[in-house]
Amino acid sequence: MGTNRAKRNRTTVLVACAALCALASGSALAAGGGGGGGGGNGTGGGKGDGKKAGAVAAPAKKPVPAPVNGSASNPQAMFSLTPELSQKLASSDESQIRNALDDVRLAGKAAAPAVPAIVKLLQRGVSASLAETACDTLGDIQSQDATVAITPYTRHRDVKVRRAAAKALSRTRGAEAIKALRLSLSDSDAVVRGLAATGLGSLKAKEAVPDLLDALDHKIAESASSVGQLCAPEECEIFMGKLGRLPFDVMTGGFDQMIFRPETELNDDNKVKIIGRLRELGTAEANKFLKDVQGRWPAKWSKRVKQAIDQGVIATGGGS
Amino acid sequence: MKSAPVSKLALAVIASAFSLFPGMGCGGNELHPKLFSSEWSDDGGASIAAVRNKLRDAPFTRGADVILAIPTSAKNKIIGMPMAGGAKWTVTHALDARPQIVGSIVVGSGGGEVFALDATTGKQLWSRATGGLPVRGAGDDGNLTAVTLGKVDRAGSVLLVIARDGSVKRQVETDKVLGVPAMLGAHVFVPWSNQYVSAYDAVTGEEVGRVTLREKVSRAWTESSALYFGEVGIFRFDDHIKDASKNGASHIGIPQRELPGTPRLLVPGTERIPVVANALDQARLYARPAGGPVGAYGVDTNRFFATYYSLIMSFDSQSGKLAWVHTNKADVIGGEAVPGGLVTCDEDGKVTSFDAKSGGILTETTFGEPIQSCVVFLDSYKPTGSAPAQGTLSEQISTAVTNREATLATAQRLLLRELATLPDESATKTLVDLARDPRTPPVVEKDARTALAQRRTGAQYMLTALTKHYDFLGDVLVSPPVGPMAEALAAMKEPKASSSLAPYLTDPNITDDDVKRVAAAMLVSATTSDLPQLRTFFMMYRSASESEDMAIATATVGQTILKLDPKDGRALLTDAAKDPFTTVSVKNKLEAILAAEQSTAPASSSSSASSAAPPSSAVSPVTKPKK
Repeated sequence: MGTNRAKRNRTTVLVACAALCALASGSALAAGGGGGGGGGNGTGGGKGDGKKAGAVAAPAKKPVPAPVNGSASNPQAMFSLTPELSQKLASSDESQIRNALDDVRLAGKAAAPAVPAIVKLLQRGVSASLAETACDTLGDIQSQDATVAITPYTRHRDVKVRRAAAKALSRTRGAEAIKALRLSLSDSDAVVRGLAATGLGSLKAKEAVPDLLDALDHKIAESASSVGQLCAPEECEIFMGKLGRLPFDVMTGGFDQMIFRPETELNDDNKVKIIGRLRELGTAEANKFLKDVQGRWPAKWSKRVKQAIDQGVIATGGGS
Repeated sequence: MKSAPVSKLALAVIASAFSLFPGMGCGGNELHPKLFSSEWSDDGGASIAAVRNKLRDAPFTRGADVILAIPTSAKNKIIGMPMAGGAKWTVTHALDARPQIVGSIVVGSGGGEVFALDATTGKQLWSRATGGLPVRGAGDDGNLTAVTLGKVDRAGSVLLVIARDGSVKRQVETDKVLGVPAMLGAHVFVPWSNQYVSAYDAVTGEEVGRVTLREKVSRAWTESSALYFGEVGIFRFDDHIKDASKNGASHIGIPQRELPGTPRLLVPGTERIPVVANALDQARLYARPAGGPVGAYGVDTNRFFATYYSLIMSFDSQSGKLAWVHTNKADVIGGEAVPGGLVTCDEDGKVTSFDAKSGGILTETTFGEPIQSCVVFLDSYKPTGSAPAQGTLSEQISTAVTNREATLATAQRLLLRELATLPDESATKTLVDLARDPRTPPVVEKDARTALAQRRTGAQYMLTALTKHYDFLGDVLVSPPVGPMAEALAAMKEPKASSSLAPYLTDPNITDDDVKRVAAAMLVSATTSDLPQLRTFFMMYRSASESEDMAIATATVGQTILKLDPKDGRALLTDAAKDPFTTVSVKNKLEAILAAEQSTAPASSSSSASSAAPPSSAVSPVTKPKK
C-alpha cells in the first residue's frame, strides 16, 4: 500500500505541475487530467482520493507540494461555461465535443457548471470512445450530479467504457456509485474489478466490506487496501485470517491501511493485535514491512503502537 | 478350383499349394452349378429350392450359449463363460484372429494351426496345421465343421470340412474370396463374391445349389434352429429363398436412420477380426431375427440396438425411433441380441443383459478382470424376468449427453436432436445445462443452443436459468444461453419473459447475437415496465453499435419502444434517425421502421401497426441497410 500511496502522491504532484505548466504556456494540457485519474485537482484530491491519502498519507516519506488556490495562476478558478463551450458540448461534431471536454477537464472540479451538458451528452448516446472520454471528464470534475448518468456505462459492452465509468464513479460519489461499483466487483474484466475495489475504498463504502473480503478471495488484490481502509474490528479479524492463504504483498496493502487509520476508526488494541500477528510470522518480508511502518510512524502518534512495531521489528529480525 | 475328399491331408502344404486347378470339380449332376464358378446363369431358384427341400427336416445343432473373452492380461488366453450354467474355463493358445463360436464348438487359429474347443468346457477337440493361413470363418452342424481360410489382402480361399476327430473330409481351393460358412445337414453354405451363397454337399463334394441375393452377403450362420445369410441385412433360408434373385427372399434389415460412428450389423465375412477389439467393435448394431425357421419373419421384440463406446441405444426396428439409452460405465466391446433382450460385454469384463423393451438391466455377471475383446454367441439363452426402465427417455438421454467422455460427442449430438423432439420439460433443463456448461464440447453446445431455441416446454427452467447472470464473485463464469431461450420464451408467449430478459440487454457478458435475439424477443413480450431498460439500451448503443447484430438489436429495441410508447417513441426514433451520432446501420434501420409504421398505421393511430408486428417482420425490414 505504501507503493500505491506514493503513486497517488506522485500523481498529485504531476497534476499540479501540469496545471501550472498549462497556465504558463497557455495551452490545453489534456494529458494532465487524463493521465492522472487520481485527481486533476489538488483541492479535489483532498476530498476524493486525496482525503483517503490524507488519512494514510500523513506519514508520507516526502511532502506533497500544496496546489495553488484561488489565484490567477489556477486555471480551475478561472473556469466559466461560456456559450461557445456549451455549444461545442451540444455539437454533433465529435471533434468539437472532444475539444470541449479537454477544456473542461483542465478546470477539474471548478468545471462543475459543465456537468449538466456532459450528462446530457451521455444521455443522448455517443460512440464508445466519446463515452469513455465523457466519463473521464466527469470523474475529474468529481460532481455527484454526474453519478446517475455514468452508472449505466458500467455495464457497457466496451470494456474501456466500463473502466472509465468505474474510475469516474469512484470520484463522483453517491449511493448509486457505491451500488454500481459493488456490481462491478463481479465484472468479467480484471481491471474493472480492481477499479471497483479501489473505488469502494475511496468512497468509504463500509457496507461493501463483505463484498471486498469476498473479492480478496477471488484474487482481486486491490480489495486488500480498501478492506484495510474500511473494516470494522471484526472484519479486520476476518482479513487477518487470510494471512498465509493470500500473498503477503497483497495482505500488506490492507495491514498498512489498518495500522495508519485514526484511532477513532481502529483503536490501539486492534493495531497491536495486527502487529502481533505480523510478528508471529517471523519472516523476512514481515520484518521488512514492519521496518517500513516503523520508519513512517509519526512521532506524536500512539507510543503503545510504536512500541509494538519496534518489538515486532526486533522479533522478526532473524527471520528468513 | 480343386475339390477333393481328404482323409489325412497335411494342411501345412495348403499355403504352398495355393495354386488353382480349374476344372477339377467333382463332376456329378450337370444341373448343379460348377463349384464357385462365375459362369453360372441364375436358375430361378431351382437348385436352392431343391436344397431347401432336401434339408427341410435337417436337425440344427443347439448352440452352446457361451461368451468368450480375451483378458487384458494375456493376448493368448481365452476365457469361456457358459451362460446356461457351468464353470468358466480358460484355454491358452496362440491367436492370430478372434476365436468364433459355431454351434457347440469354438474355432480359433494361431500358431500356424486351426483348432476347435468344446464351447462348454474348453476342451480341445482337434487342431490342424494351416500353413499360416488365417481363419476367416467357420460353421458347424454337430458332426462336421466347415472352415474357410484365406488372407485378407489376397484373392483365393481354402474351404475345409473337418470331422470331430480332426480329420479333413473335404478341401476346396478356389480363387474366389469365400465368406463365413454355415453347416446344416452335412451341407456347407458358403457366401462368396458378395452376392452368392453356394450349398456344398460335404458328402459328395458337389455344389448342389446356389442362390443369388440382391444385397451384399458374406456371412452364413445358424441360430435358433434357422439358417441365415447376410451382412447388410439378414436373409432367412426358408421356402422363399428360391425367389431371392427376384428380391423375394425372407429378409430383415435395419431402417435407415442417423447413427453415430457408422456401425455395422455384421462384420464382413471376408474380414479378419483382430484379437483385440477396436473402434469397429465399439460402434456396432445388433438385431436378432425372430420367427424361427419358417413362418412370419421379423426383428425380435421389434428392437435393434446400437452401441457407441459406453452408450447403448435401442430403436424401434420399424420406425427407427429411439426407445431407450443406457450409459454404461465402460466401453461396450461386444454383444448379441437375444430373444427379448440384448447381452453386452464391456472393457471391464462385465456382461450385462438388458430388457429389449425397457432397457432395464436383467442380469449382470463378470469375467472378473478387464478384457480386450469378447465374442457373444447365445443361441437359445433368454434372460428371464423383466426390468423397469432406468428413468424416462428424457432422463436417460440427459445422463448420456452430460457424460464428459470426449469420445461420445458424435453420439451426444444425435441424442440431443432426439432429446429436442421430446416434450418433457426436463429435456429443456438438460439443454440449458449443456448449453451453459463450459465443459460441453463446442459442437454439442451449438446443437444444444439450436435445440433450445425450438423448445416449447420447460419455460420455468429457462426463467430459472435466466436468473443466473455472469457473476465473477458468485463464481458464475458463464452466461446462460440467453439468445435461444429468448426465442423459445417469446414463441411460448411466456408472460414472465420480458422481466427476465430485459436485464440482459445491458449485460456485457453475452454475445452480440444473443443481444440481438433478446431484443427480438422483447419486441414480442416487453411491457411498459420494461421501457426504462429499453431506453437505456437504445441510448447506449444507437451510436455505439459496432456490429451488425448490435445494430439490429438497437433498431429492434427502438421499434419496441415505439410499440409501447408510440408518441415519445416516435419522437425518440425520429431524432435518433436524424442525429449524425447514430451509426449509419442503425439510422437506416430506424428510418425503415418509421417508414413502415407510417405506411401501415391509420393516420389517427399509428401505434397499432407497430404493436402487431411480429418479431420476424420487425427485424427483417432493418437487416438490409439502405445504400
